[in-house]
Amino acid sequence: MPVSAFLVLAGVLFAIGAVGVLISRNIIVLFMCVELMLNSANLALIAFSRALHVVDGHAFVFLVLTVAAAEVAVGLAMVITIFRNRETINIDRISILKW
Amino acid sequence: MIGDILTYLTFFPVLGVVLLLLVPKERHDSIKSLSLIIAFVTMLISFLVYALFDPLASGMQFEVNVPWVNSVGISYHLGIDGISLLLIVLTTILTVLAILSSWNSIKTGVKGFYISILLLTTGMIGVFVSLDLFLFYVFWEVMLIPMYFLIGVWGGPRRVYAAIKFVLFTMFGSLLMLVAVLYLVFKYHSMAGVYSFDIQALVSMPLSFSEQAYLFAAFALAFAIKVPLWPLHTWLPDAHVEAPTAGSVILAGVLLKMGTYGFIRICLPMFPEATVAFLPYICVLSVIAIVYGALVAMVQKDVKSLVAFSSVSHMGFVMLGLFTLNLQGLEGSVMQMINHGISTGALFLLVGMIYDRRHTRLISEFGGIAKVMPAFATYFMIVTLSSIGLPFTNGFVGEFLILLGAFQLNTWYGVFAVTGVIFSACYMLWMYQRVMYGKVTNPENEKLTDMSARERIIMIPLVFLIFWIGVYPKPLFDRIEPAVKNVLEQVSRAKSVQLDPVTYELTRVKDEKGTVTDATVTFAPEQEEATHE
Amino acid sequence: MEVQLPEVSLRMMAPELFLFVWALVVITFDVVTKRAQGESVGYLTMVGIAITGGILAITGEGPGFGNMFYNDPMAIFFKIIFLGAAFMAVGSSFGLTKQKIVNHRGEFFGLMLLSTVGMMFLASANELLTIWIGLELTTIPLFVLAAFFKDNKLSVESGLKYFIVGAFSSAVMVYGLSFLYGLTGTTDLLQMKLNLATVHLTFRNIGVILIAAITMLIAGIGFKLGLPPFHQWVPDVYEGAPTPVAAFLSIGSKAAGLAAFAKIFVNGLSAFHGVEMAPNDWGKLAGIVAIAALILGNTVAIRQTNIKRMLGYSSIAQAGYIMIGMVAQSALGLSAVAFYIFAYMFANMGAFAVVTAFEDKTGSCEIKSYAGLAKTSPMLSICMTIFLLSLAGIPPLAGFLAKYFVFAAAIKQASLEGGQWLYWVVGAGLITAVFSLYYYANVIKQMYFSKDDSPYRVGLQAPAMLVVLIGLAGVLVFGLYPEPVLRFAGEVPSMFGFVSP
Repeated sequence: MPVSAFLVLAGVLFAIGAVGVLISRNIIVLFMCVELMLNSANLALIAFSRALHVVDGHAFVFLVLTVAAAEVAVGLAMVITIFRNRETINIDRISILKW
Repeated sequence: MIGDILTYLTFFPVLGVVLLLLVPKERHDSIKSLSLIIAFVTMLISFLVYALFDPLASGMQFEVNVPWVNSVGISYHLGIDGISLLLIVLTTILTVLAILSSWNSIKTGVKGFYISILLLTTGMIGVFVSLDLFLFYVFWEVMLIPMYFLIGVWGGPRRVYAAIKFVLFTMFGSLLMLVAVLYLVFKYHSMAGVYSFDIQALVSMPLSFSEQAYLFAAFALAFAIKVPLWPLHTWLPDAHVEAPTAGSVILAGVLLKMGTYGFIRICLPMFPEATVAFLPYICVLSVIAIVYGALVAMVQKDVKSLVAFSSVSHMGFVMLGLFTLNLQGLEGSVMQMINHGISTGALFLLVGMIYDRRHTRLISEFGGIAKVMPAFATYFMIVTLSSIGLPFTNGFVGEFLILLGAFQLNTWYGVFAVTGVIFSACYMLWMYQRVMYGKVTNPENEKLTDMSARERIIMIPLVFLIFWIGVYPKPLFDRIEPAVKNVLEQVSRAKSVQLDPVTYELTRVKDEKGTVTDATVTFAPEQEEATHE
Repeated sequence: MEVQLPEVSLRMMAPELFLFVWALVVITFDVVTKRAQGESVGYLTMVGIAITGGILAITGEGPGFGNMFYNDPMAIFFKIIFLGAAFMAVGSSFGLTKQKIVNHRGEFFGLMLLSTVGMMFLASANELLTIWIGLELTTIPLFVLAAFFKDNKLSVESGLKYFIVGAFSSAVMVYGLSFLYGLTGTTDLLQMKLNLATVHLTFRNIGVILIAAITMLIAGIGFKLGLPPFHQWVPDVYEGAPTPVAAFLSIGSKAAGLAAFAKIFVNGLSAFHGVEMAPNDWGKLAGIVAIAALILGNTVAIRQTNIKRMLGYSSIAQAGYIMIGMVAQSALGLSAVAFYIFAYMFANMGAFAVVTAFEDKTGSCEIKSYAGLAKTSPMLSICMTIFLLSLAGIPPLAGFLAKYFVFAAAIKQASLEGGQWLYWVVGAGLITAVFSLYYYANVIKQMYFSKDDSPYRVGLQAPAMLVVLIGLAGVLVFGLYPEPVLRFAGEVPSMFGFVSP
């Protein structure tokens, strides 16, 4: 399969993720969309890595996965605190500060 | 030791600030005396400089040139010629008087007040002594902050508005100047291979006409705001009216001269062709300022804003004198800078004295003051006459020479400028009449006390200067003349301009070979108007 | 595929390793002493940062892991800034930890150190992967720090916002990096530069993918720097987060973003800087972003009533000024950027230290509540005034020289062929500088021009006093005698390949 196919898929996934971040009102869904974006980048990295026959991309992907896990850990902890405080995880209602 | 005298002169007030910081803020008397001593010693140093100054030598004296930020070519380069010498002496004298005048009127934040004044003094002297553009710019900006505090903390009811307006106007101009400075420096770097902010080095750099025009515009805007040239004057009445007496005195006496000094030191020598090209416009604006300032002053209800608008008018004279580009006009202009500092400073001091007593400055509140305060009325009369420019007072010498220069340049400028003189007589004398003569209409005015010994001490040196310069201005002219000739010579470097070596009048050079430069082609029409046939 | 492992030299990483261990020591110390040690945790942190500075001084220059980690003058300069910012942030947070973070001091200071480690790592990173990891190591602890008052709705909300924006931007950035990688086949910046040049020469234009990658990278880093249109989180986070964290964010996180920007764009993408190919594409895009930052930051700041929000918008504007130096794309511009952040650090950390002390005392961050402060706390007011004036760029303070060098770099570049568009950036910077003076002066106005005395008398604790004094010394000394810093900053771009000096 040509690289472009992977890249198109990655692009589509990235777009879905980005749009999801912008329109979703639920923080959990929002996190998932960010994950989708990161993974689309992973896909692109792997595709490039395979096409170019260099391994740097693979290493990149592993580290992206690790970082994503760390990010989600922090994010979910934050969701829990905010739920304790406010009893909601709807973005629109978390707006004491002017956006 | 003597070689570094300018350094001592400039930074002595800062030493005073350090000493003042050590005094507890409750001890008002010690603070006042200490700052007076500091200012007085600064004045003595400036007198020493005056005494050591060689009037015959042209060029800069007491030069100090030490590298400061070597990697970008900034140096600590000081030096003075006759123009800066006189302005420095004026500055130090007015500072002493300003401190004396606020002896009883400043009751809150005394320490901060005197610290601000001393810092301001350093800034002002610094501008006049620096020969490095970067240093010049730094001192130029340093003045801003103490003045902001002087107006904002110790000013009148609308002080906050006035202070912010003053700072924003000045800041806007000086940022443009900063860009122009940078451009000059990089231009110099591309030609000479080294960075330099040295004014004397930059003066000798050839610039194309369009470059000159842009740079001139940037510098001129910054300076014109400070002068202030019509229509950029709107900050001045606000700042003057709201500032405390000392602030007004220094603002009118010295700060306004920064603008004209900048023109003389930077604009004219560095951008001669642009100067000639812009000459008609600036002259017209100056004439408008003269007439407009006088007319608006006539209808003012507040004595202080009257004096403020009269400043606009008088500074218009100074600008007109500068841009006549002949010896008489320029000498008169420098003279008028000094005179305006003396007479307007004195006026503000007098207004401050009456304000201390009555806490109002409205003309309608007064009337018949001459009966209650005869000494005050006498001093006021002398200063009023000097401001009008009566012969044998200082104002006459400067204004006469400027008018002479203006008539040589173009009769119409002279004619309109003369109306300014007439108007100034009208509004000053009318104001004097309403305040001093007639019956004492307001009962509050009946128990006013005449001038105290301190107030007389403030006025005596100014009155002395008024008559001294009015009767025997030669020592001053001796010092001004070489400096002014230098400036004119530098202006005459311009390819399309040549000044007659005898009278330094502006004549146009016709290029014989027909190799006409851009400058001459583009700006020939305006030049023709401006040229004295 | 055979992989050659690069030569490992852990010595080069000694400062980072030490600081990392020290962060764990701080956390452990707090737990082991059953949270009873009070302020000594903070002092321990400050000592650790000081020791790291010492280690940094003796480490010297050189490569760490092949070319992945390189201690060049730029790295060292930025590391000094990071350590300084961390030191000052920790110093100003003693009062805060005493009042509000009694039981989590170890974590608070530990996370700050961990974030600093990330920044330092980033400063030495020399290829895309490590740059990205460095940025993430920097921001993830900051998410937690911003939301540190977990019972305070504002703090948690600001932390969440920062987190969402941060995670989103890092996703965008890694996607952009993947394009760069795909286009050049390497993650090494130097190699990337060479490869890009050949790609460019082959195709004669820079191609859609590269433009997409540039846009995404500017967006991703723009988020970290708070440049419009990615700035919305800045004022919210500054207002909600604990004040020392906001201060740390404004310097540390910003400097880290700038280091990444400089490495990727000014160095990695400088193949488009040569004579025969000078599209300057990213420069113009970044220039537009800088103009937007200047205008937006400086105008919206005027309307703010909360001093932390005001400083937030002002930091957007300051990022705009820094970007002026960056888009000049020259060695001079890069040194100007380095000097700018250095000077900005002293003024901003000092101002935030005063704001923190004031907030600890009064619980208020409203600009109005500063009214009359000059009468009750004169020294504090003078210090605050000097910091604000330095931020506004008034000589003879360091902030003025910083602005000056940035403008100088841009004007120098603008006077060259094809650089005329830079005049627009400079013009925007100049005009908005007048606005900035207005809102900084507004605080000074409140402190000095009010006729009434302030009801508060604000004092400084010893560490906060130290921070303010350091800030004051930095602003004054480097304003009057910048030569040593300038010489150092002049070496910052030495590892970057520029066509002409």
